Amino acid sequence: MATSAVVNSPPAAPTAPTTLLQRMRRSAWGYVFVSPWVILYLIFGLYPLVLSFYLTFFNYSFVTPETRTFVGIDNWVRGATDSLYWKSLYNIVLNQVVFITLKNGLGLVIATLLFRIKRGGRIFRTIYFLPVITSTVVLMTIADTMASPGGPVQSVLMNAGVLSEPSFWKSDNTLPMIVIALINTWKWFGISMVVLLAGMYGIDPRLYEAAAVDGARGWQMFRYITLPLLRPQLFFLLVVDVINGLQMFTEVFAIGFNVYGGINHQALTPVLYLYAQAFDRSNVGYASTLGLLLAVLIAVLTAIQFKFVRTEAD
Amino acid sequence: MKIFRRDSLSLLATYLALTLGAIVVVYPFFFAVNNSLKPGREILHAPSSLPSEITLDGYTGVFDELNVLLLFKNSLILGISITFLNTLLSALAGYAFAKIPFPGRGRIFGFMLLTMMIPSVLFLIPTYVFIYRIGWVGHYEALIIPSAISVFNIFLVRQFMLGIPDELVEAARIDGAGEITIFLRMILPLARPALATVAILTFMGSWNDFFGPLLYLNRPDRWTLQLGLLQFKGTVPGENSEQIWALTTMIIVPIVVVYFFIQEQFVKAFANVSLSK
Repeated sequence: MATSAVVNSPPAAPTAPTTLLQRMRRSAWGYVFVSPWVILYLIFGLYPLVLSFYLTFFNYSFVTPETRTFVGIDNWVRGATDSLYWKSLYNIVLNQVVFITLKNGLGLVIATLLFRIKRGGRIFRTIYFLPVITSTVVLMTIADTMASPGGPVQSVLMNAGVLSEPSFWKSDNTLPMIVIALINTWKWFGISMVVLLAGMYGIDPRLYEAAAVDGARGWQMFRYITLPLLRPQLFFLLVVDVINGLQMFTEVFAIGFNVYGGINHQALTPVLYLYAQAFDRSNVGYASTLGLLLAVLIAVLTAIQFKFVRTEAD
Repeated sequence: MKIFRRDSLSLLATYLALTLGAIVVVYPFFFAVNNSLKPGREILHAPSSLPSEITLDGYTGVFDELNVLLLFKNSLILGISITFLNTLLSALAGYAFAKIPFPGRGRIFGFMLLTMMIPSVLFLIPTYVFIYRIGWVGHYEALIIPSAISVFNIFLVRQFMLGIPDELVEAARIDGAGEITIFLRMILPLARPALATVAILTFMGSWNDFFGPLLYLNRPDRWTLQLGLLQFKGTVPGENSEQIWALTTMIIVPIVVVYFFIQEQFVKAFANVSLSK
């Protein structure tokens, strides 16, 4: 049976011809192989998605689920007019603008420097990538002490005359989100470096040779060849940054702010706030609504990025 | 000759800049290890100076205060089981999506990719409600079972397996090999680079995770290293800070050692992720 099937078809066909029974048996294996995944996905992926919408219409508490009451769109109205939620959004946007600019900028600079050298690239790459693999809690514990009044960072800044007196930056209104952005830049620029460096090695060297013949030099090469051709990598980094960054929680919590982001909510982020609502205030329905609002915001931003890149490419 | 001089000067400047950057990046790690070897009082008064005398008080002290071995064990249990399950399920599904034609395959895969774009914050509260209801809060299952699946990892494995020639699989089928044999004997060895990427990313994510354990394992005998460090930091008064630095160092060192042994794979794992888009 198998022999005749082979004879009947060109050998280069993507799938070997088989009888109906064989095809069915193979399909069955396909279902078997994906089924553990699909079952878990239905339970822990799709069900929570549905539950998330459902919960937004209720007042719900973990402690006393039997007191659940239907409140209609109250949670949505409350979320849209909650000044603390807006404050948390403002905080995280400020943080992300600083973080995304610095982290990708620094990653690009380092990648460019590494691309220029022929020896020792691997050891620099290994070192620069070290913070990426280290846990956020550990890095924040170290950064907390390093940035504290009397710590090494402030000592250096005071010796250089940048700071005139020790800064208690954690109680400032805008500094916490900026300092956390700086720490996160240190933690994550290694990703940008690796991704952009891989992109640079993927650029056809003949383009540079042709440009050199046309008289282009260092900066012009970078501006007109490297940068435009790195657009896919930069876009990838930007999309991932936005999706991850707006969901920040651990950094703020681990550097010593409470779930309300400090006394004046100066370091409150949206996820911190929904955590506080769910687990401190026991407003599960409301917390679910805040999560959904944030997810919609992230989805909209991602869609805008895709649209922006597509029109730019046309 | 003039051009040559300018080039070597700029090359020298490049190396200087890179070295300076490397010192800045490494300094915080040095800072942590340095403080872990100091007597407690010196940490508060002179956090950046070298220890006047080297002491291991922090290391011995933290073992008295905290069950460090239990924290390690808990982190390992989670890391290993999540990595094993996730890699296995990703390999199975990735193989099926890449190499076994079955009705609905394209539609299921497309739907999966679509949901990959949903930010995880959306799942936070409802998943907690669900896991609370089935009584898993405080148990490892709460973290292990939901983490066993990852659309992204399946996508990565599938992309890689698409590169394995169909003829190879077909030839094995014609020779009478069953799908399980093909999967175990042929696909698993061939897909090793992709599976290593998935395993490294998954293990690191789990080992460094703080939010998951905070939500589900808030019970001292289930604490992971990350959770233990933060809770310990919150409860210990200032004069025991050498213990915090000792614990910090003990968390950093294993993963850094592993990292230096297989750093190429680590770095490649992250580069792979962006290139497979």
